[in-house]
Amino acid sequence: MTHSLHRSGDMESLRGDYVWLMYQAKGINDTNIKEKAEEFIAVAEAVGSENWGDVKSGPKVILTVEEIKKRVTNQSRLRGVFTRKEQLVEFLRKIKEKNLGLSVIISGLLKETIEACKEAGLKPHTINFSLGVWGKKELLPKEDILAITTMCGHHMISPRLVEKIADQVKKGKLSPEEGGRLLALFCPCGIFNQVRAAKLLAGKITS
Amino acid sequence: MVRINRELCTGCENCLPYCTVEAISIKEGRAFIDPSLCTECYVCVRNDICPVGAIEKTPIEDFIHRFQHVISDPTETTAETGVPGRGTEEAKTNDVTGRYKKGEVGVCIDMGRPGVGVYLRDVEKVAMAVAAAGLILEGPEETPLAQLMENIKTGKIRSDLPNVRFLSIIIEGKCPIGVLPKVLQALKEVEDKIDTVFSLGLATVVDENGYSPVLDVIKELNLPEPVRGKVNVGLGRPLAAI
Repeated sequence: MTHSLHRSGDMESLRGDYVWLMYQAKGINDTNIKEKAEEFIAVAEAVGSENWGDVKSGPKVILTVEEIKKRVTNQSRLRGVFTRKEQLVEFLRKIKEKNLGLSVIISGLLKETIEACKEAGLKPHTINFSLGVWGKKELLPKEDILAITTMCGHHMISPRLVEKIADQVKKGKLSPEEGGRLLALFCPCGIFNQVRAAKLLAGKITS
Repeated sequence: MVRINRELCTGCENCLPYCTVEAISIKEGRAFIDPSLCTECYVCVRNDICPVGAIEKTPIEDFIHRFQHVISDPTETTAETGVPGRGTEEAKTNDVTGRYKKGEVGVCIDMGRPGVGVYLRDVEKVAMAVAAAGLILEGPEETPLAQLMENIKTGKIRSDLPNVRFLSIIIEGKCPIGVLPKVLQALKEVEDKIDTVFSLGLATVVDENGYSPVLDVIKELNLPEPVRGKVNVGLGRPLAAI
């Protein structure tokens, strides 16, 4: 799966968008996950992860922290998002200290994520490099729409829904923050960055 | 499967913008779901978007619609792989699985993404092109797509499935880095022959600065230098030999 890899947008807005993932490997280190996941949740909350969740449970923008914790199982894989590199560095430092033995993945601009690893005292092990979109690109929506829809890498947010929300923001029926939060409800993983979405909605999105 | 209860539907059009593949339209004053476009992603039913509850789930009884739903709905798990959604753990757990060793590269071709959708006839074109170029495709225990192939070595899809549509589905495989130029060249040639898009990821072991010889291959082929990536930071235990 590569649902956090191919986020779109200009460099400036991508600098406010860092995804984190907690992964166990099937058949290797997939036991006692619930208690380890609770450690990840504690760190994510302490550092201020704007959105996070487990695809089987739902994201923080829908459920309370306690509700997600109750739903976490040994099959859960937590994912979330930060808006600042400092948060990412602090998250990595704290998770490294806890030595939980699960794989940790961060997704974002390579320059920033590799720097974050170094600042946290970690060495990148493996990278999945994004080579972007190929094929019949004229079928894609406009770039400003794509910058929002690709924040749910499973594409549970349609371009037309973004246009609808953007129109309501433009007409003053919704604030950009309300619009970003509404869109985040459709991403079950919790990696949709509603803070970045609000900034994009406050800009010029054209239908 | 998803259907519209025409007795309940008022034709308010509220549901139209939510559909991820524009499969819902209005026909004779009521919403209609085009089964040839719907990918069974369940966004419309999972999020309770109809004000009168006219969008209904009906039991999925055949294999291919069930498969279509499991691949297109990220809250589902593919039983054979144990991984939610459409692909393998790829780079995400490579620190403990050692799926990609030094000198190897994983190729993740995310067909239909972002948001365009894909028919299996186009998946087959790409899968066969990269397999012929030397990519070793992941098997049915690793990735769901392989369960639809009649020949995993060639990438040939079952002949009864060309018109089955997915929101996206991943072709995954790996090869020695030395074979990568041929695989990328095959992708350059086939990208003009498909009626959709794909997003491409290359997964490989890196040094402490994020360098891999894969980056040299990308440069030699005049492809844009990657600016985004998904970094496994090496905290998984036990560490695999790579």
